[in-house]
Amino acid sequence: MNVNEVKKLALDIRIEALNMMSKHGFGHVGGSLSIADAIAVLYGEQMKYDPQNPKWEARDYLVLSKGHCGPALYSALAIKGFFPREELLTINEIGTRLPSHADKNLTPGIDMTTGSLGQGVSCALGMALALKIQGKDNMVYSIIGDGEAQEGQVWETLLIAPNKGVKNFIVMLDNNKQQLDDFVEKISPLGDVRKKAEDFGWHAVTVDGHDVEAINAAIEECKASDKPGFINLETVKGKGWPAKEGVNGNHALRGPAFEGVEEVLENMRKELAAMN
Amino acid sequence: MSYEMFDAKKLLGDTVYEVAKERNDIVLLSTDSAPRSGFTTFIEKMPEAYYELGIMEQAAIGVGAGMAVAGKVPVWCGPAPFCTARPFEFFKVDLGYMHQNMKVIGRNCGFNYADLGPTHYGLEDYGLVRMIPDVVILAPQDASELKGAIKAMLDYVGPVYLRLSTAKLPKIFEEKPFEIGKGNLIEDGEDVTILTTGEITVNTLAAVELLKAKGVSVRVVGLPTISPIDTDIIVESAKKTGRLVTVEEHFTVGGLGTIVEEITAENCPVKVKKIGVPFTYISAGPYDDMIQYCGLDPESICNSVMEFLK
Ligand SMILES: Cc1ncc(C[n+]2csc(CCOP(=O)(O)OP(=O)(O)O)c2C)c(N)n1
Ligand SMILES: [Mg+2]
Repeated sequence: MNVNEVKKLALDIRIEALNMMSKHGFGHVGGSLSIADAIAVLYGEQMKYDPQNPKWEARDYLVLSKGHCGPALYSALAIKGFFPREELLTINEIGTRLPSHADKNLTPGIDMTTGSLGQGVSCALGMALALKIQGKDNMVYSIIGDGEAQEGQVWETLLIAPNKGVKNFIVMLDNNKQQLDDFVEKISPLGDVRKKAEDFGWHAVTVDGHDVEAINAAIEECKASDKPGFINLETVKGKGWPAKEGVNGNHALRGPAFEGVEEVLENMRKELAAMN
Repeated sequence: MSYEMFDAKKLLGDTVYEVAKERNDIVLLSTDSAPRSGFTTFIEKMPEAYYELGIMEQAAIGVGAGMAVAGKVPVWCGPAPFCTARPFEFFKVDLGYMHQNMKVIGRNCGFNYADLGPTHYGLEDYGLVRMIPDVVILAPQDASELKGAIKAMLDYVGPVYLRLSTAKLPKIFEEKPFEIGKGNLIEDGEDVTILTTGEITVNTLAAVELLKAKGVSVRVVGLPTISPIDTDIIVESAKKTGRLVTVEEHFTVGGLGTIVEEITAENCPVKVKKIGVPFTYISAGPYDDMIQYCGLDPESICNSVMEFLK
């Protein structure tokens, strides 16, 4: 893996996502920033896709089950050429192909509509299962939130996948410790979630979710296993915008809450330029 | 018309708190959703009566039904689709069939969650809940009715669904006790009756002013209870003006439009013009654009009524 390229992609995703959300004046900033590194590893290294042909049969699939973080995914898709970068600024305008939440019907490169928490990951399992029974080796990835993991449907999926022998399936948990109202620990803690997934029959690992090399290695390890993979990404909600990292109120920002974003973006752009 | 405006969620939370502090049976359930539903005062003042479950809407109804059996009156509020469509079967069995004394409040109804797109709109919430017999459904039209409806909801023994949409809520009517199941004659007229429900009523009333300016005599009926619906006032209106118009920020299919057609078809067949959300998927976009697209702004309502009366 070209580590520098993937790191650059992660930063670029953060920049584009923050830019589109702040220009629009609304968006799920915290969770979009915490998942940028994992998305960069997927689109910068691991996944097979063709931006000119988003429905390419041999493609790998990503289902963003925490669909509210659409901006992070849209940014990766735009950077990789699925649609022009300028289009990112159309978020939520009437007639846009980019609504806040990931939408299969609208966006090139998105294969599953999400937004109702818990739903996407079970759909992802269905995709993996269908590919498996057709003897295909396409990978299916799904990203869930730690708050989302309180939904029973997530655990139903965790129960089924190993029992059906699905191996081409990797669930990544964006374990950023925060949900909407508060810290997960204060609401309904998940406990040792890696261990839980392992007990359910998954090849389960915990990694630093902001270390692209570690994430990549974890994916390789899961792919080599004969079980479905579960990657617990230890992350920080709001990662990259220091004032918003790990503080309450960073879930979704509106209007004045974006104050200070220009400075953050400028710093990020400088950092990106220095990496070239 | 300019009205005094209220923060709908704050009014909701504070009114529930006012009632709850005088009783010892009301508990507040949350699915990562209570502070944002306007319950910060409740949470601060009555922490022992506040239960944050996490993001688990199906369990919320189960837990609420269980608490109701064991003597509590659970109140739960969240985005409309997540507390109606998502746990629908439990709504039916746990709350409806067993007639449990739980109160469910669906917020951000209609297109209120404009930036969050189709997964978050509440366009079928009361249409769904109406399919469960004996669940009271309230859709207050202004700040006064919201306050009254909350008190009536908490006094009533049995399952209630209350729908709430906008962040800013006008005070249109004088405060008075809310009678579940009763429609209100807002204004009398001869040429046509407009039946309206929920918070879109402010647009309906603005449209009525435009119609009056064009010389149309309009009878206006407010229906803040969707179930049990006030059949009498609908039939009476049909007999009086011959033509009916319904206005709602909800699918007309399965919504007030359908309800009124069911009633008139059986009791007094008349022409009904249904104004509301077309039966299709509408993508994300600014709230006002979507309201206009659906013909729910005052000018469009007025034009539809004029067309209907031709
Ligand atoms: C079924 C459902 N219930 C509630 C919501 C509202 N909601 C959107 S995001 C969110 C918090 C999610 O927290 P988490 O999964 O940890 O996401 P992240 O921290 O990555 O943003 C909630 C409650 C929803 N979208 N779907
Ligand atoms: Mg989280």
